[in-house]
Amino acid sequence: MTALDHSAETARRPREARRPARPGGAGRRAERRRAAVGFSMALPPVLVISLFVGLPVVLAVAFSLGVTGGLNRTAAVIGQDVHSTDGLLTTAAYEQLFADPRFPRDLAATVLVTVVTTLVVLGLAIGIAVLLRLRGGWAATLLSGLAVVPLFIPVVIASWAILTFYSADGFLRSLFAQVGLQAPVLGFTVTGVIIASVWVNLPFALLMAASGMQAIPDALIDAARDAGAGTLRIVTRVLVPLAGIPLVIAGTFTAIGVLGQFTVPYFTGPNAPQQLGVDISKYFQSFNQPQQAAAIAVVVFVIASGVAATYVWANFRSAKQEGRV
Amino acid sequence: MTSVRHAVPDPADRSKGTPTVATKRLSAGLVGVAALALATACGPVASGGSSADTGGSDDGAGGSRLTVFISGDTNLQDLWEQGLIPAYEEANPGVQVDVVLDLHGEHDQQTVAKLVTSTEAGDDPGFDLVDAGFVVASAAEAGVLHEVGPDVVSGLADVHDTILTAGKGVGIPYRASSVLLAYDSTVVAEPPQTLDDLLTWIEENPGQFAYNSPATGGSGGAFVTTVLDSYLSPEDQEALRTRYAEDVQEGWQPGFERLAELGPSMYQGGVYPNGNSQVLELLGSGSIAMAPVWSDQFITAVENGLISEDVHYTQITDPSFTGNASYLGIPRTSDNTEGAIDLANFVLSPEGQTIIAEQIAGYPVIPLEMLPEGIAETFADADPTALRPSYFSENTDDMNNMWDQLVP
Repeated sequence: MTALDHSAETARRPREARRPARPGGAGRRAERRRAAVGFSMALPPVLVISLFVGLPVVLAVAFSLGVTGGLNRTAAVIGQDVHSTDGLLTTAAYEQLFADPRFPRDLAATVLVTVVTTLVVLGLAIGIAVLLRLRGGWAATLLSGLAVVPLFIPVVIASWAILTFYSADGFLRSLFAQVGLQAPVLGFTVTGVIIASVWVNLPFALLMAASGMQAIPDALIDAARDAGAGTLRIVTRVLVPLAGIPLVIAGTFTAIGVLGQFTVPYFTGPNAPQQLGVDISKYFQSFNQPQQAAAIAVVVFVIASGVAATYVWANFRSAKQEGRV
Repeated sequence: MTSVRHAVPDPADRSKGTPTVATKRLSAGLVGVAALALATACGPVASGGSSADTGGSDDGAGGSRLTVFISGDTNLQDLWEQGLIPAYEEANPGVQVDVVLDLHGEHDQQTVAKLVTSTEAGDDPGFDLVDAGFVVASAAEAGVLHEVGPDVVSGLADVHDTILTAGKGVGIPYRASSVLLAYDSTVVAEPPQTLDDLLTWIEENPGQFAYNSPATGGSGGAFVTTVLDSYLSPEDQEALRTRYAEDVQEGWQPGFERLAELGPSMYQGGVYPNGNSQVLELLGSGSIAMAPVWSDQFITAVENGLISEDVHYTQITDPSFTGNASYLGIPRTSDNTEGAIDLANFVLSPEGQTIIAEQIAGYPVIPLEMLPEGIAETFADADPTALRPSYFSENTDDMNNMWDQLVP
C-alpha cells in the first residue's frame, strides 16, 4: 500500500509542476531537471527489482518453455529430464507435469486449501472486527489481541507447535483421552494444513478488517438502526460493504500467501496430496528437475496473478473513491 | 507483489525524454551500490566475518592460506573448526585455514553455478576444498573439480575401491555413515534380523514404524533403496550404483508396489515424515517403536538425550541398509591446489580419521588396523569397506520422484 502511494506521489508531482510552467527557456530547463531527478530517484528500486526479480522470472518462464540456452544453460546441464525446444518454444515440461496424476491432485489440494483458508480467515476476521466495532468491551479486545499474537511467532515455530498439538500423541488427544474420548489425529492431514494456515494468516486480515470497520462513522450505523435494521442486516448491508476494499485486500493477500506457502504444509501436511510450494522445492532439489519446478512455479504464478488482479482492482477503486486517479 | 508494484514505471516518467548524463551516472552508481549490497547480503558468510570471497591464494608472507567450503549442518562446522583445522594448523605451522559455511547447503545451486562460471573464466572460485553433497553430484557432472586418485592424493591409496569409485574420479571420500535400524527395546524384545523379518514385523505392528520420504533424507532413502534392491539381481544393483541406468529402473516396479502395500501399516496409516530428524523425534517421543536412522545422527541424539537410552540399534542383513561416504572436492581453478591436496591427505591420515570418529561418530574410510585400538573397536561392526553404497545420484533423484508418485 505505502509503496504504491509513494511512487504515485513522486510520479505525480512533476506532472503538476508542469502545469504552471512558463514558456521561458529557464522554466523549461528547471522542469526538465526536476523530471530527471524524479526519474532517477524512482530508477534504483525499479532497476534492482527488474534485475533481481524481473529477469529471473523471465528466465524461469522461458526455461519452463524449453529455452535452455544462455543464462539457463547451467541449470539445463545439471538438471534431469530437461526438454529443449527445437523451434521457438515447447510445452513438453507442462505436458509431462499434467500427464502425471500427482500434479492435478496436488493442484486441486492447493486450490482447496487456499479457498477454504481464505474464507475461514475472512469469516473470523469479520466476526472479530464486527464484535469490536458494535459491542467492544474486554472480551472483544482480548479476542482481537489474541488473534494478532501469531504475527509475532515465526511460522516455522508455529507450524511445529501446531503439529505437536494435533499429533497422535499431542495435547488435544491427551486432553480428550482424560475423559475417555478419542479426538481425531489432525497432524499430517490437509485439515491440519488449513488450521495452521488460518492461524498464520489471521492477524493481517484482522488488522485490515478491524481498521476498515473502525473507519465507518457511527452515524451510518445509528441511521440504519433507527430505520429498523437488526444487527445482522447492519453487518451485511453496512459494515461489510463499507469495509469492502480492506477486506478484498486482506483476502487477496491471504490467498496469494497460502497458494505459495512452503513451511506450513512442509511441517504439518501429508505426503500426498502435497501443496505446490513444497512440490516446487521437491522437484528442484530432490528430483533434480529444475524445468518442471519452473513450470509448477509458472502455474502458481498464473493463479496468483488472477488473485492479484482483484487486488489491483480494489486498489484502483479505493484510489478513485479518494479522488487520486 | 512488491515486484509488480515497483516494476511498472509510470507512463509519465517515460515521456520525460532522455535523462541527463549526470542522472545516468548517479543512477548507475546507485544501482552498483545496491547490487553490491544485495550480493554481499545473500552469500554464505565466512567464519571470520569477512565475505565469502576471501581469496585462497598465498599471502606471500611465507605461510599459505587455504579456504574450506562447507555445505552442511553445524556439526560439520564444528568438525572442521574445532577438530580438523586446529590439528592441521598445529602440524603445519604457517598455514592458515579459513572456513566458509553454507548452513544446510541452502545455496548449493548458487555455489555450483559460481563454480561453473569461475571454471569457465579460469578464476579462483574463492575456496580450495569443498565439503558438500554436490561434490559427487552436480559438480562432478559439470566437470568443475580436479580429477583425484591415489596418484594425486596419496592418502587415497588406503581407501577401499568401492567408495572411491562412487566418487566419480573427483570426490575424495573422507568419512562414512550408514543407516541402522533403531528400535525401542521396551516395546520390541527381539528386533528383526533380516529385511524380510522387518517387513513382516511392520505388517504385524501397524503404526509402529516410520521412515521419512526419501526425498527429504537419507535414512528413509536407505530403507526404500534396500526394499527395491531386494527385488533386483546383483548386476542390476551394481548398474544402478555405478551409472545413470534408466533401463534398469523398470525393475523398481515390484519394490515400489511392496512399499505401497506397506503404507497402511506405517505410522498413522501412511505418514512419511519430512527429514531424518522428524523420524528421530517420533522415536524419541515414543510415537513409533522402530525406524531406520543414520548412525551418526542417532548416536548424537542419544548422547544429547533426545532419544532415550532404551532405544537400541542393530543392522539388518540380506540385504543390509545402505550407507555412504561423504566426499571432498578440489575446484579445478583453485589457486592453492597443493595446499588443498595436503589438507585432504591430513584428513585421510589416521590422525584426521580419529578426530572424525571421535567428534561426529563418522565411520573411518581407511582400514581399521591403522587406527587407535579404541576407535577400531567401536567401529568393528561398521566396517566401512562393507558398506552397501546407495545409488548413483541421478538414479536416486529418479527413485525419489517415483516413490513420490507411487507410494504415498
